[in-house]
Amino acid sequence: MQEAPGSGPGGPELPASLEFSDDLTEFLRQPSLDQLLQLARDVVLDPTYPTVRAWTRPGRRAVGCFPVYTPQELVHALGLLPVSLHGGGENVEISHADAALGSFLCSISKSTLELALTARLAPFRAFIFPYICDVSRNLEGLFSRLMPGVETHMLHLPQNFRSEATLPFLVAEYRRLIAKLEKAGGEPYRPERLEASIELFNRQRRQVGELTATKRDHPGKLTLTESYLLRRLGGLLPREVHVPLMDRVRSEVEQRPARTKDVLRTLLVGPFCEQPTLDLIDLIEQAGCSIVDDELLQVHRWYGSVETGGDPLVNLARAYVQSPVDIGVRAAPTSKGEAILNRVSAAGAQGVIFLTAKFCEPALEDVVLYRKALDRQKIPYLHLEFDERSTTFEQSRLQLETFVESVLFD
Amino acid sequence: MESTATHAPSFLNTAREQQRTMVEEYYADLAKAGGPKKPVAYMLVGGNLTEIVRSFGYEVVFPEIVALNCAIKHVSLPNILHAEAQGYGLDVCGYVKNDLGLQELGGETPFGRIPPPDLLVCSFSGCYVYVKWWEALAEKYGCPLFVLDVPYMREPEVQAEDRTYLIAQLKEFIALLERITGRSFDLGELRRVLVQSRRAEEGWVRYLASGRHRPSPIEAYFEAVFYMFPINVLRGTERAAEFYATVNTEVEQRIRSGQYPVPEEKVRLVVEGVPPYPSYRTFWDFFRKWGAVSVAATYPKVGGLFDQGFLHDPGRPFESIADYSLAAYVNQSWPLRRKLIADYVRDYQADAVLIHGIKSCRSFTAGQGDLRDWLIHDLHVPTLYLESDHEDPRYFAPAQIKNRMDAFFESLGPRREGGPPPTEGS
Repeated sequence: MQEAPGSGPGGPELPASLEFSDDLTEFLRQPSLDQLLQLARDVVLDPTYPTVRAWTRPGRRAVGCFPVYTPQELVHALGLLPVSLHGGGENVEISHADAALGSFLCSISKSTLELALTARLAPFRAFIFPYICDVSRNLEGLFSRLMPGVETHMLHLPQNFRSEATLPFLVAEYRRLIAKLEKAGGEPYRPERLEASIELFNRQRRQVGELTATKRDHPGKLTLTESYLLRRLGGLLPREVHVPLMDRVRSEVEQRPARTKDVLRTLLVGPFCEQPTLDLIDLIEQAGCSIVDDELLQVHRWYGSVETGGDPLVNLARAYVQSPVDIGVRAAPTSKGEAILNRVSAAGAQGVIFLTAKFCEPALEDVVLYRKALDRQKIPYLHLEFDERSTTFEQSRLQLETFVESVLFD
Repeated sequence: MESTATHAPSFLNTAREQQRTMVEEYYADLAKAGGPKKPVAYMLVGGNLTEIVRSFGYEVVFPEIVALNCAIKHVSLPNILHAEAQGYGLDVCGYVKNDLGLQELGGETPFGRIPPPDLLVCSFSGCYVYVKWWEALAEKYGCPLFVLDVPYMREPEVQAEDRTYLIAQLKEFIALLERITGRSFDLGELRRVLVQSRRAEEGWVRYLASGRHRPSPIEAYFEAVFYMFPINVLRGTERAAEFYATVNTEVEQRIRSGQYPVPEEKVRLVVEGVPPYPSYRTFWDFFRKWGAVSVAATYPKVGGLFDQGFLHDPGRPFESIADYSLAAYVNQSWPLRRKLIADYVRDYQADAVLIHGIKSCRSFTAGQGDLRDWLIHDLHVPTLYLESDHEDPRYFAPAQIKNRMDAFFESLGPRREGGPPPTEGS
């Protein structure tokens, strides 16, 4: 791995960006977990998608998947690299996208468009925008005009979870996606390839589940930032690299001492799409919270596992339809109030932090219902708004510290 | 070029009077509704199932229309502030805040009491906030919630799998209504209602198409908004069908007598976006002083693209309801929206496009800046983009909006006479 002087193809001058070998073996060669985490941090902060640039250099193809959920197994089964897009973070200056999108919109939509308009998404051959909100949906329409030569697809994720017709509709929807991906250079769809991809992704999902369980049950072994970085790599690296990496990570985490200190066991709700900066994620636990469950990077946790055997496309669709996930971008299978109380109870949380992205309407509307239920049960909570481009957090620090103190020393 | 005339906007006299009476009677009936004798269903405008719901004896409330009525009567802000006090943030849709604030305050409006729902029907057609809004209502009232999941329109033609999915959901919805009400579904009655829907839709399409005349005998944005009420709220009744016959008779009378929406038509506009209801008349005045007339607009199609052939058909009741529900304007992808607007510019011989983006509605607004760019640079159509809100009066800055509009219309003059292109909005 080396640092290369960066300049986006056709775009403005960029900060120095990372360079990797074609097969990304640098990740498996890191001598310690701490060094791997530092590398993950560098990758996350580099808006030029260095791992994707490296992987696609020998002619492989990548597909960008906007949050929150896309069937990445399907992308993988066509011989393409599914990559989770999470905006530009704090290192991308918005100079073109504002004019195209308008005001009053979330930063992730603007920074994602900005990356496209400054050629930093050049390694991608196709983009999938799931219908998780109106902005994500509309963004596909802009990409389709502004990115000639790449395929784009707006994936309609159903919101009627009671109809018998939903499953066949979603299967048909996935077939539409397959047609687009085949046009983007994907190999022809073969069920046995999808079955193999499902098995690989199931393995990754189990690993992520184990990681979050470790974080919940032994908070001292892993910080939220560490857990986040490892999961975030899972959406950037080929699964063939990330899965063995996580096997190694698990054994190293197990060997870590379980430090204990007075912390507030906290559920983190809201950042399921736009991601807070690493500094803000760090700050939450520095202030005295221990995050025992969170909504970050949902794509890995939409369901526990996908069934195998039978028609894999049906199995994949069924996993989405029957998922118990209860977040802002899925019509509530139960009452919102009941859902938040169940999650607090399952995680053994003492309080809740709502960390919602500025202008994220699905998250903002849920918070009101959640708060009412928490008020009834006298469960403490704090609501913070963030923007992926925020770099100063003094106000947030003060609020977090006050929140923790008010609960722990009440 | 600026006109010195400041006439009040002229409406179609009889039609306007009929419309006013229909609105008043509708709200008077609503105030008496609720409970088992006259249950109330809440529904959304886009892709609504009013014909089916009414055939089971429900009165229908459209909270979006209640919200716009509150805004235009300048009573939305107290409801919005009340919702904000409940925790709904500044960035939440104004319609949602108006409604949820109003619900908490007891439902009293200057035009009557809005009864609570017995049934919530969420036609998820082009607006994700619909889902969130109806979840909040379901949580508050604990009544049954049905989500009609309407696939997003990404191709110009209806796709078979989308139609199949919708028809299956419609039949499940009918089964739900039968269970709730204890009544049997009457297909013959639905067909009879759809005959009236079709008549109203054909009349509405004829009205909208009259904007092709030069000068235009209609104001296809500001005036048309008043005539949207029957097509969205009372569709399926004989009264709504008759209403559009009256409207079109008066439009023809306007053409014969030479009485047009402005004394001298100087600019023909296509308008994209939701009106700023709290400042509706002020905004309209900014057009009229320049002799600017909307000859076509996208907003009157939020309830359905009837003018693109998505009409109810009593001979194909379920298929046509399914197709109609796909055809809410904001359920169209950006490529389809762009084409529609370009077609309007060509077919209605428009001089320019005015885009009004609103803070509340990301569905309508996200991407309108790119639309402006495409119209100006690819189609060479002068275009102005403005921002305010459709519900919250705090976001309408009259001086700034007027200045930009004045500059835009001023610059259109020389262009129409072969001069340089406008600078404002480019």
